Amino acid sequence: MRDLRLSDVSVAYNGRKVIDGVDISVPALSWVALIGPNGAGKSTLLKAVTGLVDHTGTIEIGGRDSAGMSRRLLSQMVAFLPQRPVLPEGMTVAEYVAIGRTPYIPHWGTESVEDRDVVVRVLTRLGLDDLGLREIDTLSGGETQRVVLARALAQESQILLLDEPTSALDVGHQQQVLELIDELRLEQGLTVLAAVHDLTLAGQFADRLVLLDHGEVVSDGSAEEVLTEARIERHYGARVRVLAGDDGTGRPSVLPVRAPAGRKRVVVGDSSQEQPG
Amino acid sequence: MRRISLILAISTLTACGATEGDRGAAPVTGETAATSSSVIAEFPVTVSAANGEVTVEQAPQRIVSLAPTATEVLFAIGAGDQVAAVDEFSTYPVGAPITDLSGFEPNVEAVAAYEPDLVVVSDDLNDVVSGLQTVGIPVVHLPSAIDLDDTYSQIEVLGAITGNLGDAAELVSSMQTEIEELAGSMSVPTEPLTYYHELDSSLFTVTSATFIGQIYQLAGLGNIADQAGGAETGYPQLSAEYIVQADPDLIFLADTKCCGESADTIAARPGWDQLTAVTAERVVELDDDIASRWGPRVVDLLETIVGAVEQVEAP
Amino acid sequence: MELAHPVTEVPTIQARPRMALIVLVAVVASALLGILVGAVDLSIGSVLAELADRVPGVEVDSGLSERESAILWQIRIPRVVLAGLVGGMLAMAGAAFQGVFRNPLADPYLLGVAAGAGLGATLAIAYLPDQAGGIVSPLPLAAFAGAVLGVAITYILGRSATRSRSTATLILAGVAVAAFLTATQTFIQQQNTDTFREVFAWILGALGTVGWQEVVLILPYVVVSGAALILHRRLLDVMAVGDEEAESLGVPSTRVRLAVVAAATLGTAAAVAVSGLIGFVGIIVPHAIRLVLGSSYRLILPLSLGFGAAFLILADLIARSVLSPAEIPIGVVTAFFGAPFFLFVLSRARKA
Repeated sequence: MRDLRLSDVSVAYNGRKVIDGVDISVPALSWVALIGPNGAGKSTLLKAVTGLVDHTGTIEIGGRDSAGMSRRLLSQMVAFLPQRPVLPEGMTVAEYVAIGRTPYIPHWGTESVEDRDVVVRVLTRLGLDDLGLREIDTLSGGETQRVVLARALAQESQILLLDEPTSALDVGHQQQVLELIDELRLEQGLTVLAAVHDLTLAGQFADRLVLLDHGEVVSDGSAEEVLTEARIERHYGARVRVLAGDDGTGRPSVLPVRAPAGRKRVVVGDSSQEQPG
Repeated sequence: MRRISLILAISTLTACGATEGDRGAAPVTGETAATSSSVIAEFPVTVSAANGEVTVEQAPQRIVSLAPTATEVLFAIGAGDQVAAVDEFSTYPVGAPITDLSGFEPNVEAVAAYEPDLVVVSDDLNDVVSGLQTVGIPVVHLPSAIDLDDTYSQIEVLGAITGNLGDAAELVSSMQTEIEELAGSMSVPTEPLTYYHELDSSLFTVTSATFIGQIYQLAGLGNIADQAGGAETGYPQLSAEYIVQADPDLIFLADTKCCGESADTIAARPGWDQLTAVTAERVVELDDDIASRWGPRVVDLLETIVGAVEQVEAP
Repeated sequence: MELAHPVTEVPTIQARPRMALIVLVAVVASALLGILVGAVDLSIGSVLAELADRVPGVEVDSGLSERESAILWQIRIPRVVLAGLVGGMLAMAGAAFQGVFRNPLADPYLLGVAAGAGLGATLAIAYLPDQAGGIVSPLPLAAFAGAVLGVAITYILGRSATRSRSTATLILAGVAVAAFLTATQTFIQQQNTDTFREVFAWILGALGTVGWQEVVLILPYVVVSGAALILHRRLLDVMAVGDEEAESLGVPSTRVRLAVVAAATLGTAAAVAVSGLIGFVGIIVPHAIRLVLGSSYRLILPLSLGFGAAFLILADLIARSVLSPAEIPIGVVTAFFGAPFFLFVLSRARKA
């Protein structure tokens, strides 16, 4: 079981703070969704946890400071799915998933039988048996996403970081992938921190939402708490209706709404008003 | 250019004493009998060439020459029937066994295919000397001569190593005599004449310090390129302006075969029709080969030069 | 232990014994052909007998004269061995560069190796021309030093690449360094015009050799470089997913790239030092293997060694037979293969 804790974490690029004094706690086995407009720093935050960018402050994984960990150890504890994974030309699905075993294979060695067993298990669990020998650049969007997920699972780490896992998928596949992640989380005892694009889906699947804007946490709590029309308008600049979850799930739905013709939307202070345009 | 220091060591001969007939510095002409008997006694022979000391056990019967000058010398000293193959540029004498072997890009194996017992080269390119030595073929490296004494030494080396020392000595002697006569036959001019020797169409020339420059000096000629920029290399490149300014009394073209130049073609060059040598028809078309080799035909070259000089002085 | 699922069969040479056999046959066959062809006629029987005679414990009279034997052992065989070493090394280095820069058209000369070696060779030819008789000729040393320096300068200049994880910066630095070194080389050549022919001949590549000294000279470099590259073959596959993802999997990308480039450069510099700049081997051979057998470097690297050796042995054979006794510069022969090969690759890419 692993939990994740960020304390006063900052990340700077060229002297400019992209992440500024962020405190986030991701309890073991939970799913925390990172939301926020483009450029808010969601990807950067995930990369900081993965160890791909330098940070100040403390990131603790299972109580241990990640700063002291070797890259290898970190990769055994944390698996990262990037937003646009590179799909090497000519590589088969099986080879690609096997790459997920890299943290366990000696630097100059080759896969052991156990490593290959893990790959088979993962392929089977994600229904990719028939695609094992297909080249990954020939797959559909949904299949590709499952393959990338398979590679992350092959890493057998207990913390899963996902950078917008649904951005390239249609509505049907978006749900499928998120449901799959949820199943795996419960099955294998994973902790999930995901940057999620769609606010409704974020609300439906995550235990908690963290709203990031300009590198700072501006809201942290349950879906009902975080997803308010005012807040969304202020940080996304979008006009929405938030419907309370009355379909039994208890999770709100966020609907984009268009201003009536002839009216312009203006943000004044903490509230917005409609004015004749 | 490297200097050859020539040391002739004829070992068995000195051991046997002086009973083998006259072996002085000036051999007796026409004594072929003495020559043929001394062939047997001369071997094994060791000569000194640019690649060090070379020893040959018996008179070579399958010589391969990759040097046109050496080819001319070999045939001039009576070793012609000992020659099995010559390189693609050994065009003289006609009748030499010319092949497509190259002296510029020598191929050790191709040379070896002719089963030579001696190879003569004038350049050590592609490590041909060490290559031939590695496969056990004796090779003699005789680079371009820097003066006439070099030429004579090389003739004697080839004479010794092919068992034709008598003929070689005769050739040297006759060359020396003819050259002396030619040089002496000329009247001393009131003012030394100048010349320009053209190597190719891009106006490369020679200075008096080169081998051929010294031949010209024997004819009392002054070289216009001696003061030119780049003269220290021996082969400076002149410009048309320089040549027009220097206005040489004589022009010698050594690029008639390679580059198709002639008295007419150079007269057609812009500004060249003003030159004294062109208007007075004192442009001499040389044979490229004769002008670039340092063998027996330098005598012919000197003859041509002297002839041209005498034409000037006899109006 | 039950057999692993066939889908996850690791793409190693051991798992493809048929491929290993094909490579071995290719190398041996081309070597034999190379040894048999030459200006002097040596029959197959006598050559094989001569080779057999060298096997300890076997005594066979080949019937070759001492001179023919010398030609075989001092000219033909060292040349074939040299061609094999150079070809295998260049192909492996090419494969390594393709892997580490994630570009199937990368070649071992990418980061200034060629320009650096060319400058070193030009300096040696122009200013140290009379040293050929020495025990250690300065030309290979100068070429080697130039090659290594060229890459070192590229790395220092492209140092920002080590932080930004962008290979593009490094490659651009390589282009700049190559341009500068080539310009310097041209300048020196202009100051010493008598060197043009010799430098040009060196640049086009030549495997002419008598004796074994060049083989002995480069053998340690090829062995060390080859071993280092083979050790990194799985890592090259992992690097295919990009620096960032590789790091998230525990692989120190920039360090791996540096190690691979250093090893490949060492071997390439040695090859270039003795044989000049032979092009296209480093691109054609690994790329052809990739087209047939897939993109895993665990296959491409070791197979490049074998097929690269066979390829260059055959190219050298053509170079010295077609216009015998003259030799076509071997760089010209490999280029002759290269151009149609690239057209072929382009046409396949368009169809895909």
